[in-house]
Amino acid sequence: MKKFKALLIKDLQINKKTLMIPLWITAGFYLLILLISAVAYFSGDLNFNFADIQGTPPSESINYIVNIAIMGLPGLISLIFIIILTQGALNENIRNNSELFHRSQPVSIWYQSASRYIVGIAGNWLALFTIAIFNFIVIAIILAVTDKFIFGLAISGMAQSVVSFMKTGIIIGSLTFFCSAIFKDKAFLQGLAIIVGVQFLFIILNALMQWHLPLPLNYIIKLINVATPSGMDNELVNENIVYYIREAWMRIVINWNTLLQIGVSGVLFVTATLIYKSREIK
Amino acid sequence: MIQKNVIKVSNLTKYYGKFKALDNVEIEIPAGRIIGLLGKNGAGKSTFMRCILGFLKHKGEIEILGNQIRRHQESVHENIAFIPDVNSLDDRLTVKQTMDYVSAINSSWNNTKAMELLASSDLKPQQKVANLSKGMKTKLYLLITLSLDVTVLLLDEPTLGLDIVFRKEFFNTILGEFYDENKTIIISTHQVEEVEQILQDIIFIDEGKIILQEDIDELKKQYSIFTVPSDQREKLEQHNPKIISNTLGKVSAVLDSKVEIAEAQVSRPTLSDLFLEMVGGSNEKI
Repeated sequence: MKKFKALLIKDLQINKKTLMIPLWITAGFYLLILLISAVAYFSGDLNFNFADIQGTPPSESINYIVNIAIMGLPGLISLIFIIILTQGALNENIRNNSELFHRSQPVSIWYQSASRYIVGIAGNWLALFTIAIFNFIVIAIILAVTDKFIFGLAISGMAQSVVSFMKTGIIIGSLTFFCSAIFKDKAFLQGLAIIVGVQFLFIILNALMQWHLPLPLNYIIKLINVATPSGMDNELVNENIVYYIREAWMRIVINWNTLLQIGVSGVLFVTATLIYKSREIK
Repeated sequence: MIQKNVIKVSNLTKYYGKFKALDNVEIEIPAGRIIGLLGKNGAGKSTFMRCILGFLKHKGEIEILGNQIRRHQESVHENIAFIPDVNSLDDRLTVKQTMDYVSAINSSWNNTKAMELLASSDLKPQQKVANLSKGMKTKLYLLITLSLDVTVLLLDEPTLGLDIVFRKEFFNTILGEFYDENKTIIISTHQVEEVEQILQDIIFIDEGKIILQEDIDELKKQYSIFTVPSDQREKLEQHNPKIISNTLGKVSAVLDSKVEIAEAQVSRPTLSDLFLEMVGGSNEKI
């Protein structure tokens, strides 16, 4: 375990700057809002209250929905950075001319691969968590000042949004990690190009030959399945929103698709590591 | 306990596509020796070292300290330290991060020695490896390697691109800080003149084949350089040397020491002379 911990620390140190970028983007975003708000405040235009808006949903819905919505952009940024980190996971050392140094250490290839996989995916989760905590505090303050802050509903919205992106992140990250074992450069784009190419080929073959070849992209999209809470009624109040949140948890986490996502991610990691292990170090 | 042979290689063959990089190599490397691995570019030196380390697919068997090794076997690196080109350190880490990383994954790390070596160097712990000069990178590589208690040290062109001062310092440090009678060092280098004084054994490799493995002193006793005036060239040619060199109105060749040529000047050959005699001419510097 000591060796694995050392690998994790090393990979975090190497990727620290990249992992920090989503945090800097969020900080920049807040700075911009703060600047706009300050300008509006000093020009006397800042006078906002949820209650003033006609047809405003009840506070319960606002607490839940706002916390889901606020994580949309950070979630997407997190997915982009998962792709950036995992697509270079098994090739960055070669590009950096340090593959021989790292592979000459008495540590298992499985550990080395797992460490890069974890840092590429969970490292970005960690950044997403940090943003989520910060967003939650900001939203809590705004809601408390402008309307009503309901902790249970707010945290449920935030947690469901974060978990949805985490689930999407693990499958996209695993696919990209797998691509990085096959392609040494621009792994994600090359992998995507091949999948899209096969998709079009199968569509053409199906149309010309009346075949029923399975379309890979459809399966992948189904597997990724960004299960965000949706179809919400504006008139949800405290009693039925609890039921709705429970149902959303079932839809997001407790289902076969989650098991399939974890299983496929595991298979992709193992296959990628076996391919990486079979590479010669010249 | 001192092992008789630290490395034993049997029928080692390696292909890159159709190119045979190693051809049925059979060799035993004894403990406690400093061995030079000499060959032209593409002779198979690096391939040989990478096979020993389990980095390449190959045919044949390799034993290290009595244990047969498989490909990518991490335990190999518990006993063997490997220094390729010093630029292979990870540029993204700092000096301290590199030391912390290597110390955490190597059970044989000697922290006291590492601290001593760090204190005696001008390396700054917070400095990024990317910002170190090549000479400083050499010092860092030496520091982390010499702080490991390993049995075998493989050096594959470690001083490539370094100036003469760092090259000298590199080998002096290896000799002073690492080597003892229980340890084996295998050095593959083109700068043979600089390591000649520290080598005990020599291995010549050519076209993937080991053409000679010998104690250097013994080898130098077996051969001598014979120099005669240019107009007596035929005296050398009678003994079929592979190369006859022209120098300032004289010609010289490496021949068996037992040969007798009247009026010839006889001197001790260098490793370069011996290499050229055994492997043949080349435009490459060795």
